[in-house]
Amino acid sequence: MAAVRFSEVDKRFGPVTAVSGLTLDVADGEFMVLVGPSGSGKTTALRMLAGLESISAGEVSIGERVVNKVAPRERDIAMVFQDYALYPQMTVYDNLAFGLRRRKVRKEDIDRRVASAAESLDITPYLERRPGQLSGGQAQRVALGRALVREPQVFLMDEPLSNLDAKLRTQTRGEIRRLQQQVRTTTVYVTHDQVEAMTMGDRIAVMNDGVLEQCGTPEELYERPANRFVAGFIGSPAMSFFDAAAQADGDGVRLRAGALDLLVPGAPRLPAQVTVGVRPEGARPWSGGGSGRLGPVRGTVEYVEALGRETFLGVATDGARLIVHHDGRATEQVGDAIEFGIAPGGLRFFDTDSGVAIA
Amino acid sequence: MELVSLTLRRGHPGERPPGEPRSIGYLYLAPALIVFAGFVLVPLLHAAWLSLFEWDGLTPGTWVGLHNYGDVVSDPALRRAFGHALILIVFYALLPVAIGLVLAGLVARIHVPGLPVFRTILFLPQVVAMVVVAVMWRMIYDPDQGALNSILRSVGLGGLAKSWLGDFGWALPAVGLIGTWVWYGLAMVLLTAGAQKIPQSLFDAARVDGAGPVREFFAVTLPALRGEIAVALTLTTIAALRNFDLVYITTQGGPGDATSVPAFQVYDRAFKSGQVGSAAAIGVCLVAIIFALSLLINRTGEPRWAR
Amino acid sequence: MTSRRDQSLTLVILGVFSLVALLPIVGILVTAVQDPNGLRSFGSFDGIHLGNFGDAWTQGHFGSYLRSSTIVAVTVVVVSSVFSLLAGYAFGMMRFRGADVLFYVLLLGLMVPMEAVIVPLYYDLRDLKLTDTYWALILPQIGSSVAFGTFWMRAFFRTVPRSLVEAARIDGASTWFTLWRVLLPLARPAVLTMVVLLFMWTWNEFLLALVMVSDEGLRTAPLGLSFFQGRNTSNLTLLAAGAVIVATPVVVLYVFLQRHFIRGMLAGAVKG
Repeated sequence: MAAVRFSEVDKRFGPVTAVSGLTLDVADGEFMVLVGPSGSGKTTALRMLAGLESISAGEVSIGERVVNKVAPRERDIAMVFQDYALYPQMTVYDNLAFGLRRRKVRKEDIDRRVASAAESLDITPYLERRPGQLSGGQAQRVALGRALVREPQVFLMDEPLSNLDAKLRTQTRGEIRRLQQQVRTTTVYVTHDQVEAMTMGDRIAVMNDGVLEQCGTPEELYERPANRFVAGFIGSPAMSFFDAAAQADGDGVRLRAGALDLLVPGAPRLPAQVTVGVRPEGARPWSGGGSGRLGPVRGTVEYVEALGRETFLGVATDGARLIVHHDGRATEQVGDAIEFGIAPGGLRFFDTDSGVAIA
Repeated sequence: MELVSLTLRRGHPGERPPGEPRSIGYLYLAPALIVFAGFVLVPLLHAAWLSLFEWDGLTPGTWVGLHNYGDVVSDPALRRAFGHALILIVFYALLPVAIGLVLAGLVARIHVPGLPVFRTILFLPQVVAMVVVAVMWRMIYDPDQGALNSILRSVGLGGLAKSWLGDFGWALPAVGLIGTWVWYGLAMVLLTAGAQKIPQSLFDAARVDGAGPVREFFAVTLPALRGEIAVALTLTTIAALRNFDLVYITTQGGPGDATSVPAFQVYDRAFKSGQVGSAAAIGVCLVAIIFALSLLINRTGEPRWAR
Repeated sequence: MTSRRDQSLTLVILGVFSLVALLPIVGILVTAVQDPNGLRSFGSFDGIHLGNFGDAWTQGHFGSYLRSSTIVAVTVVVVSSVFSLLAGYAFGMMRFRGADVLFYVLLLGLMVPMEAVIVPLYYDLRDLKLTDTYWALILPQIGSSVAFGTFWMRAFFRTVPRSLVEAARIDGASTWFTLWRVLLPLARPAVLTMVVLLFMWTWNEFLLALVMVSDEGLRTAPLGLSFFQGRNTSNLTLLAAGAVIVATPVVVLYVFLQRHFIRGMLAGAVKG
């Protein structure tokens, strides 16, 4: 087992910079998720770790060893690809055994390891089949199995669930997590889906435009986002933002935006112009002033997302567009007027120019 | 970004991932490249060199610069040869493509049962060695025992029977028609394959707009087949220009030089009449013409808006 | 909407042109089995006399011609296929300086016909004392075959998903191992198409043999046929039998593998 370290890593493709100044430590046995939108550099970072891309600057280490110039086969890693990349002409057994055979592992050991991996992944009945005869889910598990048998120092996974349908995805998510906890191998997992990141990762590294925005536990990322990007990326539905003028008022701050006028008690020192973030669960229909909520804020319903157990209403007020959370079903319809209150604890403040979180 | 990195990845050798072979690419390339260079490229350059001399193949040659190329335009024998090649292009390329287009026009909207069987048969002439084709057709054209004259006589048109390959006026068209026979199958298969790929919706739209079958052909089928037409024309034109086997077996360039073609002139001059330099020049001209025509056909083949 | 009339018209046209394509070939087959002592005219059927083929084989030396053609064709095809696989692999899957330029040169070389380079080839090979040997037929044809073969295999290798090769690399497979054990099984249809096309072109090649070979024992089939015709203008049935012998190997290959022939010629043409 080994830890993984990125140290000021850059990757340039000609004039284009895909990754810039990436510094990241993955602890031994940790499940680290790299998440970010398309083009964020997360896959490039993974590929550099795999040895499939050269490194323009900085160092990548596996264990204590700097592996910049080390070929993939010498790095003791195993990778699961998005399209599984199973060898089409070989049986599942041969697919699993391929890497071991290349490394001259003894036949008995190969048999044992393949049987054990097939068992864990429930693919033993398919060992004699060819990839073409497998369903998507089965193929995916074979891809996982191929990585498992290698017993490497690090697992690398490049969006392995993207090609599965939603239900299978949720199911397999859990299985991957369970497997990883069993073998306790350091894992670096890339995805664009923040829900996947939040449910699977010990820690999450959010990337955007080649830069690491924040690295932390799911809770840290959710409660204490380091900047506006992370705040808006993590969480579903996303946080709502609006710009407001801030003014100290007593022991709090008065926020003004359009017709919005909120007195936030106990707020930190804020600059004159500030970007305010509101999580959907921080805005609820108004039920009187007793609950400590700020408001009432008046607005018009623009859209309704009814999910059964809860409903999200997109509300436009003069000054901001916010999402309001409603337990169960909502009676409001598009075009209706609505009054709602905002919990002061659900507010986050960001510098309007730099996007950095304030306090 | 992934798209950018994918496209950039192809051409940036400096950014090689660790462990990936550096000069090993050249090693894999070497066998093919060496044989190719040695037996195609070097001879081509050598041909260009030879074309600058007057040489009989035995005694030392004399430098004549571009004189041999001048002959290509001034020597009436060569002018005739190239002229014949142009005529053959009509038979080898234009006629088959026209036939193919007619069929493509019909097949475009229609489901044709058994198309694969037809395709197999139509393609057959392509597979038979040109020498065999020549022998075959020489028999057909034979004035006494040939099938063509027999058929003409049996339907009472005996007066039309003649020595097709021996007639000064008919020899070239007769040879040309053999070429048509060899190539129309390919043109038909190519164009009908392309036509069947045209989405039905285009035809429906045209029909709704009130187009009749002829209008449909020109408005929908023909533009969609631009690519295939270019390919068919390129292949057949090159075949017409380089045509040697057929002429050698059927007419040897005769009668007189009624079926003389550039490739035959190359052979004759280089190996029969000791004019190696001239032969080389003709060969180089052939290559140049082939390049130029291919470029021309494929330039006009892809309309700007299709890119 | 398929109008019955349109369909019939199309079938008729297809039928007529197919017939026209077939008739000369049927004609020569019929002529080849004609009574050698009877009335000899092209296409008339008077029974099946298979003895003509035996005569062509021995008297006409077509057995020897076939042997030469086979030696040349098999050698050219085997060597060209291997070279093309290697080169196509390099062009299709590896990155190296000058790859684009080299490929472009190869592409241009595809358009150079034998007729243009036959002259220098002859004199060069004569100086090397290689004329009138199988080498004079084999080497130039390998040269032109690898141009097509490389282009064809490169096209194939470009369709292979990168991730497959990367997975093999991570699993520890070398470049060589990946080519022969991981990719070749995938390449089988493409290789088969290349093989049949190269075989056809090599078998049917005439000009090269005509110029390079004067020794009767080395004559390839098309050349042999041409000489035979020169000697036997009146023996129609024997000539027809010889012609059929020359054409048969490729036609038989075609009948069994037509899909590969047709696909190959159409697809290759579109790229060219």
